[in-house]
Amino acid sequence: MRFHVVKRDNCPLWKKLCLYVLAVAAALGLGALVLLAMGVDPAAYYYRMFTMGMVGNKIAYKTFENYLKVFVPLALTSVALSLAFKMRFWNIGGEGQFILGAVAAATVAFKLGPSLPGAVTLVLMCLAAMLCAGLYGAFVAVLKVKFGTNETLMTLMLNYIALYFITFLGETKADWNFYLDPKSARPIFASFADIVSFPKIPLVGKFSLNVCVIFTLVIGVLVFIYLKYTKHGYEIAVVGDSAGTAHYAGMRVNTIVLRTVFLSACLIGLAAAFKVGTAGILSTAITDDVGWTGIIVAWLSQMNTAVIFLVSALISMLRYGSTIAAATFSQVDSSFANMLQGAILFLVLAADFYTRFRVVSVQKGGKN
Amino acid sequence: MPEQYAIEMRGVTKTFGSVVANKDVDLTLRQGEILALLGENGSGKTTLMNMLSGIYKPDKGEIRVDGKTVSIDSPEDAKRLGIGMVHQHFKLVDVFSAADNIWMGREKAGLTLKGDRYAQIGEMVKKFGFDIDPKKKVRNMAVSEKQTLEIIKVLYYGAKVIILDEPTAVLTVQEIEKLFEVLRRMRENGHSIIIITHKLNEVMEISDRVAILRKGEYITTVNTADTNEQELTEWMVGRKVDLNIDRPVVEKTRPLLEIRDLTIKNDEGAVAIDHVNFYIRGGEILGVAGIAGCGQKELCEAIAGLRPIQSGLMIHKGDNIVGLSPKAILEKGISMSFIPEDRLGMGLAPSLSITDNMILKNYSEARGPFVDRKGGREDAQRVIEELEVVTPSTETPVRRLSGGNVQKVLLGREIKAGPNVIVTAYPVRGLDINSSYAIYNILNQQKEAGVGILFVGEDLDVMLALCDKIMVLCHGKVMGVVHAHKTSKEELGLMMTGALDLTNKYEDKPAGYAKDTNITDEELRELEQREGEEEQP
Amino acid sequence: MEMNQLGVVTTFVHNIVVYNIPLLYGTVGEIVVEKSGSLNLGVEGIMAVGAIFGYIIGCYANSMAVGILTAFLFGALCGLLFAALTVSLQANQNITGLTLTTFGLGVYFFVGNGLKSVAWPAMNDYANIKNGFADLAIPGLSQIPVIGRGLFSHNVMVYLAVAVALAMWWYLNRTTPGLRLRAVGENPGAADSVGINVKRYKYVHTMLGCGIMGIGGYYMALNMSGSFNSTCWINGYGWIAVALVIFANWNPALAILGTFVFGFFNTLRVSGSSLAAAFPGTLGWLAAIPTQVYQALPFVITAVVLVVTSVRKREGSGLPAALGLNYFREER
Repeated sequence: MRFHVVKRDNCPLWKKLCLYVLAVAAALGLGALVLLAMGVDPAAYYYRMFTMGMVGNKIAYKTFENYLKVFVPLALTSVALSLAFKMRFWNIGGEGQFILGAVAAATVAFKLGPSLPGAVTLVLMCLAAMLCAGLYGAFVAVLKVKFGTNETLMTLMLNYIALYFITFLGETKADWNFYLDPKSARPIFASFADIVSFPKIPLVGKFSLNVCVIFTLVIGVLVFIYLKYTKHGYEIAVVGDSAGTAHYAGMRVNTIVLRTVFLSACLIGLAAAFKVGTAGILSTAITDDVGWTGIIVAWLSQMNTAVIFLVSALISMLRYGSTIAAATFSQVDSSFANMLQGAILFLVLAADFYTRFRVVSVQKGGKN
Repeated sequence: MPEQYAIEMRGVTKTFGSVVANKDVDLTLRQGEILALLGENGSGKTTLMNMLSGIYKPDKGEIRVDGKTVSIDSPEDAKRLGIGMVHQHFKLVDVFSAADNIWMGREKAGLTLKGDRYAQIGEMVKKFGFDIDPKKKVRNMAVSEKQTLEIIKVLYYGAKVIILDEPTAVLTVQEIEKLFEVLRRMRENGHSIIIITHKLNEVMEISDRVAILRKGEYITTVNTADTNEQELTEWMVGRKVDLNIDRPVVEKTRPLLEIRDLTIKNDEGAVAIDHVNFYIRGGEILGVAGIAGCGQKELCEAIAGLRPIQSGLMIHKGDNIVGLSPKAILEKGISMSFIPEDRLGMGLAPSLSITDNMILKNYSEARGPFVDRKGGREDAQRVIEELEVVTPSTETPVRRLSGGNVQKVLLGREIKAGPNVIVTAYPVRGLDINSSYAIYNILNQQKEAGVGILFVGEDLDVMLALCDKIMVLCHGKVMGVVHAHKTSKEELGLMMTGALDLTNKYEDKPAGYAKDTNITDEELRELEQREGEEEQP
Repeated sequence: MEMNQLGVVTTFVHNIVVYNIPLLYGTVGEIVVEKSGSLNLGVEGIMAVGAIFGYIIGCYANSMAVGILTAFLFGALCGLLFAALTVSLQANQNITGLTLTTFGLGVYFFVGNGLKSVAWPAMNDYANIKNGFADLAIPGLSQIPVIGRGLFSHNVMVYLAVAVALAMWWYLNRTTPGLRLRAVGENPGAADSVGINVKRYKYVHTMLGCGIMGIGGYYMALNMSGSFNSTCWINGYGWIAVALVIFANWNPALAILGTFVFGFFNTLRVSGSSLAAAFPGTLGWLAAIPTQVYQALPFVITAVVLVVTSVRKREGSGLPAALGLNYFREER
């Protein structure tokens, strides 16, 4: 009895879904085993994680607000990354683009915030963030298109350069450094929350919805429409599917790549503006690894905008939930979420194999 | 006395998805003989041999080596059984030297790489009568040298059965002679050889027996001494079938597309199209016949603007189209539907729906930022109905359609654009009878509307019935342009294999020159001048 | 030069090696993996995994050899995971590697923080480890002024790194399995056709390379001022290693040089101020440069190298032609 791998013609959607759900369940199962090994009750842990400690919690609304603060940047970043990934441009520079966007937004807040009405400042912050992040990404696209530079490695390098840039801002006490709190002797970032901040709409009880959430959902819808119905979206689809066909059809592939990568980076900058405008303060950990998590979310969602929102919601639940659970279960570090995420993706990658290939058994001698 | 064959294949079948590449094929190879495997493009020769060399596994059937039933699951198995194959597309590591390419597969090679391996290989190379510098890197080698290296490699591993896939395609006359000497010597030493070839003269010269495949099925095996080129051609292409294909008589226009002295290089740098002349009139179907690899692909690509040419003129309605972008050529009204060997090649985006592929060439004409899928869907629906495309819906990804239906979509899209010249290659490959007729009807409709059609095909019966004229290419050269109703299948077959040259048969000037040409004298003079410059040392 | 200045320079040279040896491990390991045709972006995570397990188990066993072996083993395990996904299950190499990084770092912090509260071994408590990590001077060579102590008086893992790099160079270029490996990375179809077991070669060498990376991680753990504190992780060495592979043209021997060049700039960050103090006239300005510039410098240099190499597209590049592509025999 020997085995032989054959490519599959087609895999029905229900089968795919089953396989993926199975993969996720298996990952959770593995996580449960790890928890058991540490002497933690998996059921209790998972319960706390997935409800994010909101059950029976008097300030549940605050938890939900904080959850949304994790969800918004992740969803928006994942959508942005999917734009580039659809064209097989591996934009791994989400972290760097986010940082630049955050710094740009903060600069506007500090410099123009005091003199302009709040709404105007917010708009300018968003625009500045989008522009800076967009250029940071487009830079790499230019190199790729002109010289064939490996975009994966290049964007990686730019990530760290941006990281040290913001670290520099955060650690250098100097007269020119308006980012820092003048009242503190040690260098810490200053808050501009009282100068400008994204407004919140009171909804039910004490819970107010940050407008960024609405913006993100709207942008999600817009991107969905962009990809599905516009000429640009069509071009992205063709270029990503077969660059040869695109060229044959007369599409200017390089222009399309540049434009899309710029847009992708822009949206990441916008996500940063949302985060910074809500938090009111910079930080060297401003990204919260959203550039990395976004890649995983985009891939798990197979670059489908609607699914990205769903998967972002779940992964945010996982990430935020594990920080909440870490308070109760102190032995389980919040990086458990990273492990779980990784396990989910590994198992989904493995499941993916079965949607693309079949394993056939062949008898010796070639006779069937 | 029952003979023990070196190789015996019985009832071998191989299917890829829905395409049956080999159906119930029998093949025998005697010890110490040279067997030629003959067949047209798509007849399944390479697939069959790939099963002997372990690259594919047969779905059904039995393979026996030296009388014993075996299962060849990998190239390593084949190697161990003493079967070696020299492929059409070389399997060489470019950055390695010749010696290393051989050494890497050596059974007992020891741990360290010793410098004397070059000498060892060099000695052995000389022993086989070849002349290759073992230290030379493959990427610096000419095509024929690489071919030689592949042959040496196989011999080095001690293969008793050696398969060569179109080995002479890239060799010069002298090298072919040398190769044949080697093959004869190997035969004397007890090797058994299968040579896949199209060249009838070589078959007659080198082989002991000939086995013929046609459209995936096994036809027969004969002793070479007992047959001749005519007979072989007939087996290869089959008896003439009376097809009921219309050939409307249409008033023709002045030449729409004229090709003069066109020379094109292929990807490997060899000449694919060699000083070719022809023209297409409106209201006419010009067929292009030739063995796979005779340059049709490069010709089509050049006309569509996807491949640069070395020299020559391409005049469309009086305008020179050399060097224009694919989009500009499209706008001039030259449309191409080409199905390269690997099916979903350029022309279609596999993961996108039929509708999305319909609008590929004119999506930018829609007003505003949005794509007009409604129009595309209507077009798709029309193509699906008229050409009877088998698909769940207009939104099905093209990749999921069977090969034949893919071709229908492609052709349907090209025609919808309203071209004045259509270049179509293998439009009915893999289609059933009804779908094929639908395609012929469409082509005839276009012809009646005054469109000029270049039809690259592989079924000679179809071309004899459908085309007005047929141009035969062989190794990139035109062997003749003949009127379809005046020629015969045998004549075409002989031209395809290079045995017959009719370039000057029918007209009082070389075939391919139009009497009412659009090419100006000035352009001709320029062309001659340019070519004169090239030929200077 | 005065005695003090001499001392500072010597220490500087010494530090270049000390702080940057992990780069050598990572680069050599990645070269081996890439030569087999896989682009592994999980270096960061694999080094972290090697670090945490190597350190903990090495300490408890009170043996550096055990630590090294453990780090290698766990690195190889990560390599097995990567190979299983990309070779057998045909998964996308980029995504698999990136996930491995997140996962590996997750494991690092999880195990580290989890154990901190319970039973974290402090390196100084384990004599064998502490001594094992002490400097070992090579007799004769280490007497050379300035570079003697700088280059030839190091702990045993430094010598191991150089030995591994040279061994891998020898393996790749002077042995038969090395030749076959290179064939697999250049043209797996050609290798397959002569009977080389492509799958096996990829598996084995991915595991080997990742194991070597793991050892690099272990070194980093030991090097963090002797009291390894797993709440922090020195960012980015893994990524620099991936870029260093290109800089070294996939040549493990050149990687030694590359490590030194990168290390030079990296060490300026740490020793810049003392150099400025010792040579105030010529190098005083070094102290004025913000430390973050030094931290960013390796990445800036790498970025420049990336652009330059892609512009020039040299002949004789060691880039394996089939890098990043999964091999499937019946590809039609």
